[in-house]
Amino acid sequence: MNRDLIERKESGAKYRGLLEAAPDAMVVVNQSGEIVLLNLQAEKRFGYRRDELLGQQVTSIIPEGFAERLIADALRSAEDALAQQIGTGIELNGRRKDGSEFPIEIMLSPLKSAEGILVTAAIRDISVRKSAERHLAQMEGRYRGLLEAAPDAMLVVNQAGEIVLLNVQAEKQFGYRRDELLGQKVKNLIPEGFAERLIADSTRSAAEALAQQIGTGIELIGRRKNGSDFPIELMLSPLESTEGILVTAAIRDISARKGAEKHLAQMEERYRGLLEAAPDAMVVVNQGGEIVLLNLQAEKQFGYRRDELLGQKVKNIIPEGFAERLVADALRSAEDALAQQIGTGIELIGRRKNGSDFPIELMLSPLESTEGILVTAAIRDITLRKKGEADLLNKVEELKLSNDELGQFAYIASHDLQEPLRMVASYTQLLSRRYKGKLDSDADEFIAFAVDGASRMQRLIQDLLAYSRVGTKGQELLNTSSEESLERALINLRGAIEASGALVTHDPLPPVAADEMQLIQLFQNLVGNAIKYQSPGIPKVHISAMQNGGGKWMFAVKDNGLGIDPQYFEKIFGMFQRLHKREEFAGTGIGLAICKKIVERHGGSISVESQPGQGSTFSFALAGIEEES
Amino acid sequence: MKVTGENGMPVEVLLVEDSPGDVRLTREAFGEVNSSIRLHVAADGLEAMAFLKREGVHARAPRPGIILLDLNLPKMDGREVLAQIKADSSLKTIPIVILTTSNSQVDIAKSYQLQANCYLSKPVQLDAFESLVKSINDFWLTKVKLPMQRQSA
Repeated sequence: MNRDLIERKESGAKYRGLLEAAPDAMVVVNQSGEIVLLNLQAEKRFGYRRDELLGQQVTSIIPEGFAERLIADALRSAEDALAQQIGTGIELNGRRKDGSEFPIEIMLSPLKSAEGILVTAAIRDISVRKSAERHLAQMEGRYRGLLEAAPDAMLVVNQAGEIVLLNVQAEKQFGYRRDELLGQKVKNLIPEGFAERLIADSTRSAAEALAQQIGTGIELIGRRKNGSDFPIELMLSPLESTEGILVTAAIRDISARKGAEKHLAQMEERYRGLLEAAPDAMVVVNQGGEIVLLNLQAEKQFGYRRDELLGQKVKNIIPEGFAERLVADALRSAEDALAQQIGTGIELIGRRKNGSDFPIELMLSPLESTEGILVTAAIRDITLRKKGEADLLNKVEELKLSNDELGQFAYIASHDLQEPLRMVASYTQLLSRRYKGKLDSDADEFIAFAVDGASRMQRLIQDLLAYSRVGTKGQELLNTSSEESLERALINLRGAIEASGALVTHDPLPPVAADEMQLIQLFQNLVGNAIKYQSPGIPKVHISAMQNGGGKWMFAVKDNGLGIDPQYFEKIFGMFQRLHKREEFAGTGIGLAICKKIVERHGGSISVESQPGQGSTFSFALAGIEEES
Repeated sequence: MKVTGENGMPVEVLLVEDSPGDVRLTREAFGEVNSSIRLHVAADGLEAMAFLKREGVHARAPRPGIILLDLNLPKMDGREVLAQIKADSSLKTIPIVILTTSNSQVDIAKSYQLQANCYLSKPVQLDAFESLVKSINDFWLTKVKLPMQRQSA
């Protein structure tokens, strides 16, 4: 025993300095579980004097879990026992001299000595830590459900910047296990911008720090366990607890959004110049119907600032007809939807910020992008064009009305003029008949001029009436035999034909779509002219028709008469146009104007081929009748 | 040429015409062809009906053997006069000759629907008008057999 004691004292001296410097309680125990050495901290921690502990069983201060590790017994070899003696963070209970217990953590390390293997135990009082852990465990239980249900990563951090609580999203997002994060500095996850907000320091008061803890949409950088960084958005809210103010941070990974933003920024830059140069309002819209890009003209046209429109539904500015084209739905496939995205001149209604509507024309074109197909819409304000169109329509309508009125007016005027004129003509003729030679020669001459003037005016009015009747009294175009119409015209012209001895011949003529009365008048005027404008000799007139393609017949009325100087070809079809003196040929200058109007009403045109002295050929086309099978 | 009615009485003709010029022209034209015609004139439709029904100043009016009726008349127009005469069992046997300036197909069709006996349009030339009046005389007042004038006073 003495020898042992001496040796113990020697080894005690050897380690004394080392032991006393350690911050923890240190106890050295032999294989029998007896305390062979201890330091001042051990005395204080357990409330014993040194000599009360030396040589005592260690079970008196650590009742369980330590001594058992020291001995090889029936259940395990000495080697196993030794292996177990080495350990980190073994949590046990210590017992003070007064019998009270407290939580400890021991760190074991073997120590070779002459007496065999000794074991050094560093013992730490973990009362404080244990109580914090218990509190956190309670709180964790309380908030666990809430936390885990959150879609974002959630961290609860104390004023010291340590993580006291987190959810599974936080584990996933940062790539740590939960126990790797609990108690760790939040700076490890969010190197900058978060921890600084938690602490009152020389530059700001605690109140300011607290105010800064509440925040929405703080954009920072997160760092994963593997060292990689990613953009996050932080939402902070304070959380009162027994440990003081904690801060709950909801952390959203905004990589995708940032990526999209970056892409858009790039694209925006790329297309900006192009867009801004466009004369129209330009809006780029995604498949969700949201505006992702627009130009200055679009801001002006719709009366919004750019930031008021970006990300907004395009329906806000074009309520109908555009968004519907973007989406494949039950009614149509994605291909159809895409096809509809391409379009020219779609007329819709635009709505300004102030709620007023205006007509627009849309030109759509698809734009491939990493986000899928975007649609570029060029939007033109067509208010002026629409107004122009409406004005034009009004003008056309007014013109048509005024034209109709004029036609009616001409008809009514000439019809009503005819009545008093009939009186003038009839009574001057009566005068002439009853009093010719009974007054003086001046009276006879005056009466003759009055009779001539009245009868010329009668012809003029009758021709005017006939002319205005073409437009106002026209009948439907029906299946009409042009040959019968010609024969009716020749009967009407019988007097003139007999008087001139004219030879009028014709080919077989086809049925045509015509107003019969007008067709008769047309032939009558043309054949009548052919007989009238003759040099001495027998007038010869021939009427023919040949098929002209498109179901049309080209009619020709050919004569051997005076002919017409080509310079008058246009002129002769005008109103009151005459090429001859009244003494040579009577006429009102309306006959060919009537012909032109009749042919035009039938959808054709009339023309003349002639040389002076060579006769003339008047040609006009009429629509034929389809053969009935 | 002198023509009298069947019983040797003068022929009574009612001309319904508002234009004095036309009245005179018709009178002149009849005067050229038949001096036994007694031409009575009503200047509008109401007066024509009063004459036929012997109302007021027309109490002693004769029943005309034929009526020459213009269509466009003041107060009551010729179509209405035509319709009323043809709806009246005692008057509808009197032949009615429409004599008007209208050439309208609508007027022609309407007149025959209302049972006018013939429709003539006034020619614009004096010669043609005179020859038309002569035709009326030759046909309606000479060749045509008219019913007995039972109601003549």
